[in-house]
Amino acid sequence: MMKSITKRALMAGCAFAFAAGIVAGPAAAQDFPDGPITLVVNWPAGGGGDRAGRLLAQYGEKYAGVPIVVNNIDGAGGSTGVRFVAEAEPDGQTVGIFGSSIVAQQYINPNAPAVADLAPISFFGPDPGALEVRADTGIETLEQFIAALKENPGSIKNGNDAPGGWSYVVAALIEKAADVQMTKVPYKGYSPTVAAIMSGEIQSATLPVPQLVDQAKAGDINILAVTADERHFMAPETPTFKEEGIDLVAGDWRAVFAPAGVSDEVKAKLEEIFTKTVEDPEFQEAAKNVGFVIQPKGAEETGTYIAAFDENYYPVLLDAGLVKANQK
Amino acid sequence: MYGDFLGHLTGVLGTPELIALSAIGAILGIVLGCLPGISSTMSLAILLPVTYAMAPEAAIVFLIGVFSASVYGGSISAILLNIPGTPGAIVTQLDGYPMARSGRAGEALTIALFSSTLGGIVGLLVLMLIAPLIVAGAMQFRSPEFAAATVFGLTMLAYASPGSTFKGLMAGLVGLVCGMVGFDTVTDTPRFTFGTTLLESGIDLVPLTVGIFGLAEVMRTIELGSAKTAAVERIGRLIPPWRSLLGLWGSIGRGSILGAVVGAIPAAGSAIAVAVSYTQEQRLSRHPERFGKGAPEGIAAPEASNNACVGGALVPMMTLGIPGDSMTAILMASLLIHGLRPGPMLFADRPDFVAAVYVALFLALIFTLIFGLVFIRQIVRLLQLPPNILLVIVTLLCFVGAFAIRNNVDDVIVMVAFGVIGFIMTRLKIPIAPLAFGLILGPILEENLRRALIVSDGSWLVFVERPISATLLAISLLAVLYPMISPSLRKGLKVGRAKRLNDVE
Repeated sequence: MMKSITKRALMAGCAFAFAAGIVAGPAAAQDFPDGPITLVVNWPAGGGGDRAGRLLAQYGEKYAGVPIVVNNIDGAGGSTGVRFVAEAEPDGQTVGIFGSSIVAQQYINPNAPAVADLAPISFFGPDPGALEVRADTGIETLEQFIAALKENPGSIKNGNDAPGGWSYVVAALIEKAADVQMTKVPYKGYSPTVAAIMSGEIQSATLPVPQLVDQAKAGDINILAVTADERHFMAPETPTFKEEGIDLVAGDWRAVFAPAGVSDEVKAKLEEIFTKTVEDPEFQEAAKNVGFVIQPKGAEETGTYIAAFDENYYPVLLDAGLVKANQK
Repeated sequence: MYGDFLGHLTGVLGTPELIALSAIGAILGIVLGCLPGISSTMSLAILLPVTYAMAPEAAIVFLIGVFSASVYGGSISAILLNIPGTPGAIVTQLDGYPMARSGRAGEALTIALFSSTLGGIVGLLVLMLIAPLIVAGAMQFRSPEFAAATVFGLTMLAYASPGSTFKGLMAGLVGLVCGMVGFDTVTDTPRFTFGTTLLESGIDLVPLTVGIFGLAEVMRTIELGSAKTAAVERIGRLIPPWRSLLGLWGSIGRGSILGAVVGAIPAAGSAIAVAVSYTQEQRLSRHPERFGKGAPEGIAAPEASNNACVGGALVPMMTLGIPGDSMTAILMASLLIHGLRPGPMLFADRPDFVAAVYVALFLALIFTLIFGLVFIRQIVRLLQLPPNILLVIVTLLCFVGAFAIRNNVDDVIVMVAFGVIGFIMTRLKIPIAPLAFGLILGPILEENLRRALIVSDGSWLVFVERPISATLLAISLLAVLYPMISPSLRKGLKVGRAKRLNDVE
């Protein structure tokens, strides 16, 4: 019943688009962008993904020459918004800003669209992971943290996302790299995790640095290390895992995607718009204030980055028993 | 802090730009909040980019104006159309709409407006005066406490449907089950989706309430044949007699305090505050049978709660840098863009800015009250549209509202389905409000129960070892046993009252 309605609506839509196409002539790349560009955010308004999307839309209009409209399409662990872009007309008018969850969801959720249904356009930036503990645990270094867990496995309760989410992956990667075992406690997003570590329900968290930097300055939290190649600009005194002798570099990231069928010309134009935006100094200043690490990359480089990420990430999901579809 | 506030208030009052921004924010907030599907969160997110170019103080004055006013705005459509404008208003319509239907729309709106303003002021006072104290208490709320508080909320549910407790509980249980559809929050895997993408996004509170209240009402009106009943012919007096407002002080007071406290607990949210304060009023009322049929207390308490939540939600944001809900998360983002990071450091280092936030909330409350009073007559006139046109508008708003909350077509289908379910339930005389309450409380109970057990390594004792959790469970038990022991208790009360009367004479 529902399917037939959707199908009919789709057919009507196609017929309309076809008729419009005849009147207007086939849309050529030089006509792009033709009207406002829709930037889909696959999370609700107010979160980090939404903040990134709205910044990009605000500063991107200068380079697009048309308005960029943010559309929050939320649901199904982020998959609803991704599907909306994957199934959109590949004319470049609909793009989305998505994070690493698109890689996870294609394995966790049999109904989620595959990353291959999307064409990477431009990189926004990495969102490196970090390990924080409550100051009252007395743990001040990564070494002490690992020693405490080696002595008493599972004794430290770590706050993180549910298994598909990013901060869970960071926790799982730390366990693997340092060969320790903590108790991973799931929370619904970053803010409840912050509240839980402040309330003392959990002793450690694997949140990105900006989430807890102020509490660290106030002396309630110790940030032990970041899972990046370089130290984080908001916590310059915190070492990286590599500096501490553990080979762990892992980060969530955000990037702009178009539907996979987009033509090369339109793709090039989109790449130009969004890469220039991300390189814009005013944009970078605003993004830095919110705590985003910005790292411009072109379409090809973004694609390589995501492929490498997929490679590293898959075993973690497999270990966690989360691979339910598209098994490799 | 108090001196800072007054100093800042006079400063702001001498700055026409800031006053204008607060006023514009309040108007936009009322309008956006009133539109079904545009929640307070959405209103703030839409208007956030406008503030990028403003000075930080101007940005916060504007956004808090939008935030606070949108909370009242949500109750306008709830009262007049039976469609909640924002999720926090879902309870307001239980009595607001019947009141409007009986020709007392103006009165209902005014009660909502005054309760909102008073609730907002209580929230502000809590924020200004005892924020550190409240936040210390709120931080005692861990997973076991959340679970216990939800159990308490569920026992109150039994009272939410007088006359047919059994049917009410059944409806509540259906609501609980509906809350389990979609992604499991603990394991992150889809469940109860029957393999369709339709149910993967779960059953959201807004489409469900829009369906069971709004669309079901449209169907019922059509069924009755004469569309006449849809429209409210008489507006009635706008301002209720002062005495009746005064009579609500107890409800407003209880609702406000509950709202401010629940608001301060991170991640609790106004939906719980309004659900609990409504059932509590019904429980305490000497005429619980009037609830759902236009009881003024049924509007006053949840509206006061809803607005007191605003001040409450700012408590953890200002003192700890933790956004308690999605609205404060956006407020935090707006400050971050200007390089201001709310939290313990800002609280200590920039008392001037902290005072500016208080002033912004105060102005927002005043402007909401002013605009609410000025426009009440125009707003109510909406109901005098020809009935058939009104029905079309309501139906349209049901569809728009269900869609716009997540821009998800699946939600529209969910809304229509629950419209039919709500219609059937009303025909079978099954109360529908417990369904919505079950949907609010179910996911919170499940998530926190399971998490509490993970943290306690599987020990159920955690719920009775922690004092707040144990107390909440004990009260819940009392609430369940109360009907069995109440006859003897009432007898005792009667004796006591008679004795007191004798003493007076």
